[in-house]
Amino acid sequence: MDPNMDDYETEEEPGFVVEDVSKIVKESVEAAIGGNTYQHSRVNQWSTSVVEQCLSQLSKLGKPYKYIVTCIITQKNGAGLQTASAFFWDNTTDGSCAVRWENKSMYCIVSVFGLAI
Amino acid sequence: MDGSDSYLIRPHHQHKFRPAAVKECVREIVRERLSEVRYDPEEVPELTRSLADSIKDKLKNAGFDRYKLVVQVVIGEQRGQGVKMTSRCLWDADSDNYAEDVFMNDSLFCVVAVFGSYYY
Repeated sequence: MDPNMDDYETEEEPGFVVEDVSKIVKESVEAAIGGNTYQHSRVNQWSTSVVEQCLSQLSKLGKPYKYIVTCIITQKNGAGLQTASAFFWDNTTDGSCAVRWENKSMYCIVSVFGLAI
Repeated sequence: MDGSDSYLIRPHHQHKFRPAAVKECVREIVRERLSEVRYDPEEVPELTRSLADSIKDKLKNAGFDRYKLVVQVVIGEQRGQGVKMTSRCLWDADSDNYAEDVFMNDSLFCVVAVFGSYYY
């Protein structure tokens, strides 16, 4: 009796693919704040839109991952900024990606963390 | 049949990620490490990294079983510039949560965000 084994292999390669995520982030940032100059009153709306756009594109990838996206927008005035992250997760399946973007008046740093379910 | 795997899909109430407790813990560490520090571009990269590691290590031992942790530390110089930090997460709101803390002194500001995600 031949056990009819179903093939449970998923079509797409699971895993946190840094290039794909990085591309999604760059596009979202460009679309949300592309040609703008830093304006204190609009920063709220910009950072929200960057993050929400990234998240919606990431969820469209359809992978079994939970995502955390953070975005920091800062005005350019010569001040220094440093970010660091530490993780306690599964190295084989989880990953992170940080993208730095700038224009003449501001810097935008977006970090994406993907945690496998 | 002994030693079965546990298939908990929800954290037990006592082991849930408690933002208030995590925030307290983070606050203590940050205040202890940064209260007298001035922003120095040579030292800050090392400082941020070591702060992130210490916070992560402290939280690992705080009893959040089955939680994956992500700690993000941002340290910036205070020069009157505008800064905005936002985050959004795609996760399970019943079991996952986050905690944040902001510390400022005359020469720098420090934002710490800790995200806890339950591993089913």
